[in-house]
Amino acid sequence: MTGLLAIWPRAWPRERRSTATIFTAAVLLVAFMWGLGRLLAYAPEPIGPAADQFAQGTLVTLELTLISGLLGVLFGLLAAVCKLSRFAPLRWASGLYIWVVRGTPLITQIFFVFFALPEIVPGLELSDFNSAVAALAVNVGAYNAEAIRAGLQAVPKGQSEASRSLGLSPLQTFIHVVAPQGLKISLPPLVNNIVALLKDTSLAYGIGVVELFNQGNRLQAATFLPVPTYVTAALIYLALTTILTQVSDAIEARLDVEQRH
Amino acid sequence: MTTVPTPTPGPRQPLITAEQVNKHFGAAHVLKDVSTCFFEREVAVIIGASGSGKSTFLRTLNRLEKHDGGRIVVDGIELNDSVKNLDAIRREVGMVFQQFNLFPHLSVLDNVTLAPRKVRGTPAAKARQEAMELLTRVGLEDHALKHPHQLSGGQQQRVAIARSLAMQPKVMLFDEPTSALDPEMIKEVLDVMKDLAREGMTMIIVTHEMTFAREVGDRILFFDHGQLLVEAPPAEFFDNQRNDRIRAFLGQIVH
Repeated sequence: MTGLLAIWPRAWPRERRSTATIFTAAVLLVAFMWGLGRLLAYAPEPIGPAADQFAQGTLVTLELTLISGLLGVLFGLLAAVCKLSRFAPLRWASGLYIWVVRGTPLITQIFFVFFALPEIVPGLELSDFNSAVAALAVNVGAYNAEAIRAGLQAVPKGQSEASRSLGLSPLQTFIHVVAPQGLKISLPPLVNNIVALLKDTSLAYGIGVVELFNQGNRLQAATFLPVPTYVTAALIYLALTTILTQVSDAIEARLDVEQRH
Repeated sequence: MTTVPTPTPGPRQPLITAEQVNKHFGAAHVLKDVSTCFFEREVAVIIGASGSGKSTFLRTLNRLEKHDGGRIVVDGIELNDSVKNLDAIRREVGMVFQQFNLFPHLSVLDNVTLAPRKVRGTPAAKARQEAMELLTRVGLEDHALKHPHQLSGGQQQRVAIARSLAMQPKVMLFDEPTSALDPEMIKEVLDVMKDLAREGMTMIIVTHEMTFAREVGDRILFFDHGQLLVEAPPAEFFDNQRNDRIRAFLGQIVH
Protein backbone atom coordinates (compact mmCIF):
# COMPACT_ATOMS: atom_id res chain seq x y z
CA MET A 1 0.00 0.00 0.00
CA THR A 2 1.39 3.39 -0.90
CA GLY A 3 1.48 5.88 1.87
CA LEU A 4 1.42 9.56 2.58
CA LEU A 5 5.02 9.90 1.46
CA ALA A 6 3.98 9.56 -2.17
CA ILE A 7 1.44 12.40 -2.22
CA TRP A 8 3.90 15.30 -2.03
CA PRO A 9 5.23 17.07 -5.15
CA ARG A 10 8.10 15.12 -6.67
CA ALA A 11 10.16 18.28 -6.78
CA TRP A 12 10.28 18.40 -2.98
CA PRO A 13 13.47 17.08 -1.43
CA ARG A 14 13.04 13.82 0.42
CA GLU A 15 13.63 15.43 3.76
CA ARG A 16 10.79 17.88 3.29
CA ARG A 17 8.45 15.12 2.14
CA SER A 18 9.41 13.18 5.24
CA THR A 19 8.73 16.12 7.56
CA ALA A 20 5.43 16.84 5.82
CA THR A 21 4.43 13.21 6.25
CA ILE A 22 5.25 13.10 9.95
CA PHE A 23 3.41 16.37 10.52
CA THR A 24 0.37 15.23 8.54
CA ALA A 25 0.31 11.90 10.36
CA ALA A 26 0.30 13.71 13.70
CA VAL A 27 -2.57 15.94 12.55
CA LEU A 28 -4.44 12.90 11.25
CA LEU A 29 -4.05 11.13 14.58
CA VAL A 30 -5.45 14.08 16.53
CA ALA A 31 -8.29 14.50 14.01
CA PHE A 32 -9.02 10.78 14.20
CA MET A 33 -9.23 10.83 17.99
CA TRP A 34 -11.43 13.93 17.91
CA GLY A 35 -13.77 12.69 15.21
CA LEU A 36 -14.01 9.01 16.08
CA GLY A 37 -16.85 9.21 18.60
CA ARG A 38 -18.79 11.68 16.46
CA LEU A 39 -18.36 9.52 13.35
CA LEU A 40 -19.28 6.24 15.02
CA ALA A 41 -22.44 7.82 16.42
CA TYR A 42 -23.87 7.72 12.87
CA ALA A 43 -23.20 3.99 12.58
CA PRO A 44 -26.20 1.59 12.79
CA GLU A 45 -26.96 -0.61 15.79
CA PRO A 46 -25.14 -1.88 17.76
CA ILE A 47 -22.17 0.43 17.09
CA GLY A 48 -23.91 3.82 17.00
CA PRO A 49 -25.25 3.77 20.58
CA ALA A 50 -21.84 2.50 21.82
CA ALA A 51 -19.82 5.16 19.96
CA ASP A 52 -18.66 6.85 23.15
CA GLN A 53 -17.41 3.59 24.63
CA PHE A 54 -15.38 2.87 21.49
CA ALA A 55 -13.94 6.38 21.53
CA GLN A 56 -13.12 6.05 25.23
CA GLY A 57 -11.51 2.63 24.70
CA THR A 58 -9.44 3.95 21.81
CA LEU A 59 -8.18 6.77 23.99
CA VAL A 60 -7.11 4.27 26.68
CA THR A 61 -5.37 2.17 24.04
CA LEU A 62 -3.49 5.22 22.82
CA GLU A 63 -2.57 6.25 26.36
CA LEU A 64 -1.25 2.76 27.10
CA THR A 65 0.79 2.89 23.90
CA LEU A 66 2.27 6.33 24.37
CA ILE A 67 3.13 6.04 28.08
CA SER A 68 4.56 2.53 27.94
CA GLY A 69 6.19 3.35 24.60
CA LEU A 70 8.06 6.33 26.07
CA LEU A 71 9.06 4.40 29.19
CA GLY A 72 10.04 1.50 26.97
CA VAL A 73 12.45 3.67 25.01
CA LEU A 74 14.07 4.79 28.28
CA PHE A 75 14.31 1.17 29.52
CA GLY A 76 15.69 0.12 26.17
CA LEU A 77 18.32 2.85 26.16
CA LEU A 78 19.38 1.96 29.70
CA ALA A 79 19.54 -1.77 28.96
CA ALA A 80 21.43 -1.19 25.71
CA VAL A 81 24.03 1.00 27.41
CA CYS A 82 24.40 -1.63 30.17
CA LYS A 83 24.75 -4.37 27.58
CA LEU A 84 27.65 -2.48 25.99
CA SER A 85 29.22 -1.58 29.34
CA ARG A 86 32.76 -2.54 30.19
CA PHE A 87 31.48 -3.48 33.66
CA ALA A 88 30.55 -7.17 33.46
CA PRO A 89 27.76 -7.26 36.11
CA LEU A 90 25.86 -4.58 34.16
CA ARG A 91 26.17 -6.67 30.99
CA TRP A 92 24.89 -9.73 32.84
CA ALA A 93 21.96 -7.85 34.40
CA SER A 94 20.97 -6.43 31.03
CA GLY A 95 21.36 -9.82 29.33
CA LEU A 96 19.20 -11.46 31.99
CA TYR A 97 16.49 -8.80 31.57
CA ILE A 98 16.38 -9.18 27.79
CA TRP A 99 16.52 -12.97 27.97
CA VAL A 100 13.67 -13.32 30.48
CA VAL A 101 11.38 -10.73 28.92
CA ARG A 102 11.79 -11.92 25.34
CA GLY A 103 11.52 -15.55 26.40
CA THR A 104 8.20 -15.33 28.25
CA PRO A 105 4.73 -14.44 26.95
CA LEU A 106 3.61 -10.84 27.39
CA ILE A 107 0.31 -11.91 28.91
CA THR A 108 2.23 -13.78 31.62
CA GLN A 109 4.18 -10.62 32.36
CA ILE A 110 1.02 -8.52 32.57
CA PHE A 111 -0.67 -10.99 34.90
CA PHE A 112 2.51 -11.31 36.94
CA VAL A 113 2.74 -7.56 37.56
CA PHE A 114 -0.96 -7.30 38.45
CA PHE A 115 -1.45 -10.44 40.55
CA ALA A 116 1.95 -11.74 41.67
CA LEU A 117 3.98 -8.60 42.28
CA PRO A 118 1.83 -7.32 45.20
CA GLU A 119 2.40 -10.67 46.93
CA ILE A 120 6.17 -10.47 46.47
CA VAL A 121 6.39 -6.78 47.32
CA PRO A 122 3.79 -6.11 50.04
CA GLY A 123 2.28 -2.66 49.81
CA LEU A 124 2.85 -2.37 46.07
CA GLU A 125 -0.69 -2.12 44.74
CA LEU A 126 -0.76 -0.95 41.15
CA SER A 127 -4.05 -0.21 39.44
CA ASP A 128 -4.95 -2.33 36.42
CA PHE A 129 -3.93 0.50 34.08
CA ASN A 130 -0.59 1.10 35.82
CA SER A 131 0.15 -2.63 35.94
CA ALA A 132 -0.44 -2.84 32.22
CA VAL A 133 1.79 0.18 31.57
CA ALA A 134 4.57 -1.30 33.73
CA ALA A 135 4.44 -4.71 32.08
CA LEU A 136 4.17 -3.29 28.54
CA ALA A 137 7.04 -0.85 29.14
CA VAL A 138 9.28 -3.56 30.55
CA ASN A 139 8.35 -5.80 27.63
CA VAL A 140 8.90 -3.34 24.79
CA GLY A 141 12.01 -2.07 26.60
CA ALA A 142 13.70 -5.44 26.09
CA TYR A 143 12.99 -5.38 22.37
CA ASN A 144 14.05 -1.72 22.17
CA ALA A 145 17.28 -2.59 23.95
CA GLU A 146 18.32 -4.87 21.12
CA ALA A 147 17.35 -2.30 18.48
CA ILE A 148 19.29 0.45 20.25
CA ARG A 149 22.29 -1.79 20.96
CA ALA A 150 22.49 -2.73 17.27
CA GLY A 151 22.27 0.96 16.30
CA LEU A 152 24.99 2.02 18.73
CA GLN A 153 27.24 -0.79 17.56
CA ALA A 154 26.71 0.19 13.93
CA VAL A 155 28.47 3.51 14.53
CA PRO A 156 32.00 3.02 13.16
CA LYS A 157 34.75 2.68 15.76
CA GLY A 158 36.63 5.53 14.07
CA GLN A 159 33.93 7.92 15.30
CA SER A 160 34.63 7.33 18.97
CA GLU A 161 38.38 7.18 18.28
CA ALA A 162 38.22 10.61 16.64
CA SER A 163 36.17 11.97 19.52
CA ARG A 164 38.40 10.50 22.21
CA SER A 165 41.55 11.70 20.49
CA LEU A 166 40.10 15.23 20.50
CA GLY A 167 40.00 14.94 24.29
CA LEU A 168 36.28 14.31 24.78
CA SER A 169 35.56 12.02 27.73
CA PRO A 170 33.81 8.67 27.24
CA LEU A 171 30.52 10.21 28.42
CA GLN A 172 30.87 13.25 26.13
CA THR A 173 31.75 10.92 23.27
CA PHE A 174 28.58 8.96 23.91
CA ILE A 175 26.33 12.01 24.21
CA HIS A 176 27.69 14.09 21.33
CA VAL A 177 29.02 11.54 18.85
CA VAL A 178 27.86 7.93 19.27
CA ALA A 179 24.29 8.31 20.58
CA PRO A 180 23.04 10.79 17.93
CA GLN A 181 24.29 8.55 15.14
CA GLY A 182 23.34 5.24 16.75
CA LEU A 183 19.82 6.27 17.76
CA LYS A 184 19.19 7.47 14.21
CA ILE A 185 20.01 3.98 12.98
CA SER A 186 17.76 2.52 15.70
CA LEU A 187 14.77 4.71 14.83
CA PRO A 188 13.03 2.50 12.25
CA PRO A 189 13.08 -0.67 14.41
CA LEU A 190 12.06 1.44 17.43
CA VAL A 191 8.99 2.78 15.61
CA ASN A 192 8.16 -0.74 14.47
CA ASN A 193 8.31 -1.86 18.10
CA ILE A 194 5.86 0.91 19.01
CA VAL A 195 3.46 -0.23 16.27
CA ALA A 196 3.66 -3.77 17.65
CA LEU A 197 3.14 -2.35 21.15
CA LEU A 198 -0.07 -0.63 20.04
CA LYS A 199 -1.55 -4.01 19.14
CA ASP A 200 -0.14 -5.68 22.24
CA THR A 201 -1.95 -3.22 24.52
CA SER A 202 -5.06 -5.30 23.80
CA LEU A 203 -3.67 -7.93 26.18
CA ALA A 204 -4.32 -5.49 29.03
CA TYR A 205 -7.91 -6.63 28.58
CA GLY A 206 -6.90 -9.71 30.57
CA ILE A 207 -6.52 -7.77 33.83
CA GLY A 208 -9.61 -5.65 33.23
CA VAL A 209 -8.25 -2.51 31.62
CA VAL A 210 -11.11 -1.09 29.58
CA GLU A 211 -9.24 -0.38 26.40
CA LEU A 212 -10.42 -0.72 22.82
CA PHE A 213 -10.55 -4.51 22.57
CA ASN A 214 -12.22 -4.81 25.96
CA GLN A 215 -14.88 -2.30 24.89
CA GLY A 216 -15.58 -4.32 21.76
CA ASN A 217 -15.70 -7.51 23.77
CA ARG A 218 -18.12 -6.05 26.30
CA LEU A 219 -20.43 -4.86 23.55
CA GLN A 220 -20.31 -8.28 21.95
CA ALA A 221 -21.21 -9.91 25.24
CA ALA A 222 -24.14 -7.55 25.68
CA THR A 223 -25.48 -7.70 22.14
CA PHE A 224 -24.36 -11.13 20.89
CA LEU A 225 -23.36 -9.43 17.63
CA PRO A 226 -19.72 -10.47 17.18
CA VAL A 227 -19.34 -9.41 13.55
CA PRO A 228 -19.94 -5.64 13.78
CA THR A 229 -18.29 -5.26 17.18
CA TYR A 230 -15.02 -7.05 16.36
CA VAL A 231 -14.89 -5.55 12.86
CA THR A 232 -15.22 -2.06 14.35
CA ALA A 233 -12.49 -2.70 16.93
CA ALA A 234 -10.22 -4.17 14.27
CA LEU A 235 -10.80 -1.23 11.91
CA ILE A 236 -9.87 1.26 14.63
CA TYR A 237 -6.64 -0.67 15.36
CA LEU A 238 -5.93 -0.74 11.64
CA ALA A 239 -6.42 3.02 11.35
CA LEU A 240 -4.07 3.67 14.26
CA THR A 241 -1.33 1.33 13.05
CA THR A 242 -1.65 2.75 9.52
CA ILE A 243 -1.05 6.26 10.82
CA LEU A 244 1.93 5.11 12.91
CA THR A 245 3.38 3.21 9.95
CA GLN A 246 3.34 6.43 7.93
CA VAL A 247 5.62 7.92 10.55
CA SER A 248 8.03 4.99 10.44
CA ASP A 249 8.09 5.07 6.63
CA ALA A 250 8.83 8.79 6.69
CA ILE A 251 11.69 8.27 9.14
CA GLU A 252 13.18 5.53 7.00
CA ALA A 253 12.97 7.71 3.90
CA ARG A 254 14.77 10.48 5.71
CA LEU A 255 17.60 8.15 6.75
CA ASP A 256 17.92 6.86 3.22
CA VAL A 257 18.76 10.37 2.04
CA GLU A 258 21.96 10.50 4.00
CA GLN A 259 23.00 6.97 3.29
CA ARG A 260 22.95 7.68 -0.42
CA HIS A 261 25.68 10.22 -0.14
CA MET B 1 61.44 23.06 2.27
CA THR B 2 61.37 23.51 6.05
CA THR B 3 63.98 25.58 7.74
CA VAL B 4 63.76 23.60 10.95
CA PRO B 5 67.10 22.03 11.78
CA THR B 6 67.27 18.30 12.30
CA PRO B 7 66.93 17.82 16.02
CA THR B 8 69.77 16.25 17.90
CA PRO B 9 69.24 14.43 21.18
CA GLY B 10 71.03 16.12 24.00
CA PRO B 11 70.11 19.03 26.18
CA ARG B 12 66.82 19.51 24.30
CA GLN B 13 63.82 17.91 26.01
CA PRO B 14 61.94 15.49 23.80
CA LEU B 15 58.19 16.06 23.49
CA ILE B 16 57.48 12.34 23.20
CA THR B 17 59.69 9.53 24.42
CA ALA B 18 59.08 5.88 23.63
CA GLU B 19 61.20 3.33 25.50
CA GLN B 20 61.20 -0.36 24.61
CA VAL B 21 57.56 -0.24 23.52
CA ASN B 22 56.00 -3.65 22.92
CA LYS B 23 52.56 -4.59 21.71
CA HIS B 24 50.84 -7.90 21.05
CA PHE B 25 47.59 -8.65 19.22
CA GLY B 26 46.88 -12.11 20.60
CA ALA B 27 49.84 -14.23 19.53
CA ALA B 28 51.13 -11.65 17.05
CA HIS B 29 53.99 -9.53 18.34
CA VAL B 30 53.33 -6.31 16.41
CA LEU B 31 55.73 -3.89 18.14
CA LYS B 32 59.13 -5.12 19.29
CA ASP B 33 61.17 -2.95 21.66
CA VAL B 34 60.53 0.29 19.79
CA SER B 35 62.54 3.17 21.28
CA THR B 36 62.73 6.69 19.91
CA CYS B 37 62.13 10.35 20.76
CA PHE B 38 60.19 13.10 19.02
CA PHE B 39 61.23 16.71 19.47
CA GLU B 40 59.39 19.97 19.30
CA ARG B 41 59.00 21.43 15.80
CA GLU B 42 60.19 18.18 14.31
CA VAL B 43 58.50 16.49 11.35
CA ALA B 44 59.04 12.75 11.66
CA VAL B 45 57.84 10.50 8.88
CA ILE B 46 57.19 6.83 9.56
CA ILE B 47 57.26 4.45 6.60
CA GLY B 48 57.23 0.71 6.09
CA ALA B 49 55.24 -2.08 4.47
CA SER B 50 51.65 -2.90 5.43
CA GLY B 51 51.62 -4.80 8.69
CA SER B 52 55.02 -3.48 9.75
CA GLY B 53 53.50 -1.92 12.88
CA LYS B 54 53.88 1.71 11.82
CA SER B 55 50.22 2.67 12.28
CA THR B 56 49.98 0.66 15.49
CA PHE B 57 53.00 2.52 16.87
CA LEU B 58 51.44 5.88 15.97
CA ARG B 59 48.21 4.84 17.66
CA THR B 60 50.02 3.90 20.87
CA LEU B 61 51.23 7.51 21.15
CA ASN B 62 47.74 8.69 22.16
CA ARG B 63 46.72 5.31 23.50
CA LEU B 64 44.19 4.39 20.83
CA GLU B 65 46.21 1.17 21.21
CA LYS B 66 47.55 0.21 24.62
CA HIS B 67 51.17 -0.82 24.64
CA ASP B 68 51.79 -3.88 26.80
CA GLY B 69 55.46 -3.30 27.54
CA GLY B 70 57.80 -0.34 27.84
CA ARG B 71 57.11 3.32 28.55
CA ILE B 72 55.65 6.20 26.57
CA VAL B 73 55.96 9.71 27.98
CA VAL B 74 54.18 12.59 26.24
CA ASP B 75 54.94 16.13 27.35
CA GLY B 76 56.12 14.87 30.73
CA ILE B 77 53.09 12.67 31.36
CA GLU B 78 53.38 8.90 31.23
CA LEU B 79 50.73 7.04 29.25
CA ASN B 80 49.20 4.42 31.54
CA ASP B 81 45.79 3.37 32.79
CA SER B 82 45.22 6.72 34.49
CA VAL B 83 42.22 8.30 32.77
CA LYS B 84 43.30 11.72 34.00
CA ASN B 85 46.70 11.38 32.34
CA LEU B 86 45.08 10.12 29.20
CA ASP B 87 42.60 13.00 28.91
CA ALA B 88 45.41 15.50 29.57
CA ILE B 89 47.54 13.94 26.84
CA ARG B 90 44.77 13.66 24.30
CA ARG B 91 44.05 17.36 24.59
CA GLU B 92 47.64 18.05 23.51
CA VAL B 93 47.93 15.42 20.80
CA GLY B 94 45.91 15.91 17.61
CA MET B 95 45.16 12.99 15.33
CA VAL B 96 44.19 12.78 11.67
CA PHE B 97 42.89 9.46 10.38
CA GLN B 98 43.03 7.65 7.07
CA GLN B 99 39.21 7.58 6.92
CA PHE B 100 38.84 11.23 8.08
CA ASN B 101 36.29 10.19 10.75
CA LEU B 102 34.40 13.47 10.58
CA PHE B 103 31.17 13.44 12.58
CA PRO B 104 28.54 12.97 9.83
CA HIS B 105 25.63 14.31 11.91
CA LEU B 106 27.33 17.66 12.51
CA SER B 107 28.05 20.54 10.13
CA VAL B 108 31.64 21.27 9.18
CA LEU B 109 31.64 24.18 11.63
CA ASP B 110 30.23 22.07 14.47
CA ASN B 111 32.80 19.36 13.75
CA VAL B 112 35.51 21.93 14.40
CA THR B 113 33.93 23.65 17.43
CA LEU B 114 32.74 20.54 19.32
CA ALA B 115 35.95 19.73 21.18
CA PRO B 116 36.98 23.32 22.05
CA ARG B 117 33.51 23.96 23.46
CA LYS B 118 33.06 20.71 25.35
CA VAL B 119 36.64 20.05 26.46
CA ARG B 120 38.17 23.52 26.79
CA GLY B 121 34.93 25.29 27.64
CA THR B 122 35.47 27.90 24.92
CA PRO B 123 32.35 30.10 24.54
CA ALA B 124 30.36 29.27 21.39
CA ALA B 125 30.96 32.60 19.65
CA LYS B 126 34.71 32.49 20.23
CA ALA B 127 34.91 28.83 19.18
CA ARG B 128 33.02 29.67 16.01
CA GLN B 129 35.31 32.57 15.18
CA GLU B 130 38.42 30.46 15.74
CA ALA B 131 36.93 27.64 13.69
CA MET B 132 36.26 30.01 10.80
CA GLU B 133 39.88 31.16 10.93
CA LEU B 134 41.06 27.54 10.78
CA LEU B 135 38.67 26.72 7.94
CA THR B 136 39.99 29.74 6.05
CA ARG B 137 43.48 28.43 6.63
CA VAL B 138 42.62 25.11 4.98
CA GLY B 139 40.64 26.91 2.25
CA LEU B 140 37.16 25.73 3.28
CA GLU B 141 35.53 28.82 4.79
CA ASP B 142 32.76 28.64 2.17
CA HIS B 143 31.81 25.12 3.26
CA ALA B 144 31.36 25.79 6.98
CA LEU B 145 27.63 25.12 7.01
CA LYS B 146 27.70 21.98 4.86
CA HIS B 147 27.67 18.46 6.19
CA PRO B 148 30.66 16.16 5.65
CA HIS B 149 28.88 14.00 3.07
CA GLN B 150 28.57 17.04 0.80
CA LEU B 151 32.36 17.40 0.61
CA SER B 152 34.98 15.55 -1.42
CA GLY B 153 37.46 13.29 0.34
CA GLY B 154 40.21 15.87 0.15
CA GLN B 155 37.95 18.55 1.59
CA GLN B 156 36.85 16.21 4.38
CA GLN B 157 40.45 15.49 5.30
CA ARG B 158 41.24 19.20 5.40
CA VAL B 159 38.26 19.72 7.74
CA ALA B 160 39.63 16.88 9.88
CA ILE B 161 42.97 18.68 10.11
CA ALA B 162 41.22 21.93 11.06
CA ARG B 163 39.17 20.05 13.67
CA SER B 164 42.35 18.72 15.22
CA LEU B 165 44.09 22.10 15.12
CA ALA B 166 41.15 23.70 16.93
CA MET B 167 42.37 22.07 20.14
CA GLN B 168 45.75 23.80 19.64
CA PRO B 169 47.67 20.56 20.03
CA LYS B 170 51.40 20.48 20.71
CA VAL B 171 51.85 17.61 18.29
CA MET B 172 49.84 16.24 15.39
CA LEU B 173 49.70 12.55 14.47
CA PHE B 174 48.79 11.68 10.87
CA ASP B 175 47.78 8.07 10.16
CA GLU B 176 48.06 7.62 6.38
CA PRO B 177 46.13 10.85 5.77
CA THR B 178 46.10 10.53 1.97
CA SER B 179 45.70 6.76 1.54
CA ALA B 180 41.92 6.90 1.13
CA LEU B 181 42.00 9.81 -1.36
CA ASP B 182 41.72 9.92 -5.12
CA PRO B 183 45.04 10.94 -6.67
CA GLU B 184 43.87 14.41 -7.66
CA MET B 185 42.97 15.21 -4.05
CA ILE B 186 46.19 14.10 -2.44
CA LYS B 187 48.01 17.32 -3.25
CA GLU B 188 45.53 19.63 -1.54
CA VAL B 189 45.92 17.70 1.70
CA LEU B 190 49.70 17.46 1.48
CA ASP B 191 49.86 21.22 0.81
CA VAL B 192 47.99 21.91 4.04
CA MET B 193 50.39 19.62 5.87
CA LYS B 194 53.40 21.35 4.32
CA ASP B 195 52.08 24.70 5.52
CA LEU B 196 51.74 23.28 9.00
CA ALA B 197 55.30 21.98 8.95
CA ARG B 198 56.55 25.35 7.76
CA GLU B 199 54.78 27.04 10.65
CA GLY B 200 56.67 24.81 13.05
CA MET B 201 54.02 22.29 14.06
CA THR B 202 55.44 19.10 15.56
CA MET B 203 54.22 16.30 13.31
CA ILE B 204 54.49 12.53 13.24
CA ILE B 205 53.26 11.19 9.92
CA VAL B 206 52.66 7.64 8.74
CA THR B 207 52.53 7.75 4.95
CA HIS B 208 53.40 6.10 1.66
CA GLU B 209 54.07 9.48 -0.02
CA MET B 210 57.83 9.25 -0.46
CA THR B 211 58.25 12.56 -2.29
CA PHE B 212 56.48 14.29 0.55
CA ALA B 213 58.55 12.42 3.15
CA ARG B 214 61.79 13.48 1.50
CA GLU B 215 60.68 17.07 1.04
CA VAL B 216 59.05 17.78 4.40
CA GLY B 217 60.48 15.23 6.82
CA ASP B 218 63.31 16.01 9.21
CA ARG B 219 63.72 12.36 10.00
CA ILE B 220 62.53 9.13 8.42
CA LEU B 221 61.68 6.12 10.61
CA PHE B 222 61.47 2.77 8.85
CA PHE B 223 59.41 0.00 10.44
CA ASP B 224 59.82 -3.64 9.51
CA HIS B 225 58.05 -6.58 11.18
CA GLY B 226 57.29 -4.58 14.30
CA GLN B 227 60.80 -3.22 14.68
CA LEU B 228 62.09 0.28 14.18
CA LEU B 229 64.81 -0.78 11.78
CA VAL B 230 66.36 2.55 10.81
CA GLU B 231 65.94 6.23 11.58
CA ALA B 232 67.84 8.75 9.51
CA PRO B 233 67.54 12.18 7.88
CA PRO B 234 65.79 11.96 4.49
CA ALA B 235 68.87 12.65 2.38
CA GLU B 236 70.77 9.83 4.02
CA PHE B 237 67.76 7.53 4.08
CA PHE B 238 66.72 7.89 0.46
CA ASP B 239 69.99 8.59 -1.33
CA ASN B 240 72.53 6.68 0.64
CA GLN B 241 70.63 3.65 1.85
CA ARG B 242 72.85 0.71 2.70
CA ASN B 243 70.18 -1.61 4.06
CA ASP B 244 69.18 -4.07 1.32
CA ARG B 245 65.74 -4.60 2.72
CA ILE B 246 64.95 -0.88 2.69
CA ARG B 247 66.44 -0.50 -0.78
CA ALA B 248 64.11 -3.25 -1.97
CA PHE B 249 61.16 -1.52 -0.27
CA LEU B 250 61.99 1.84 -1.81
CA GLY B 251 62.42 0.18 -5.19
CA GLN B 252 58.82 -1.07 -5.06
CA ILE B 253 57.35 2.32 -4.26
CA VAL B 254 56.47 4.69 -7.06
CA HIS B 255 58.33 7.90 -6.35
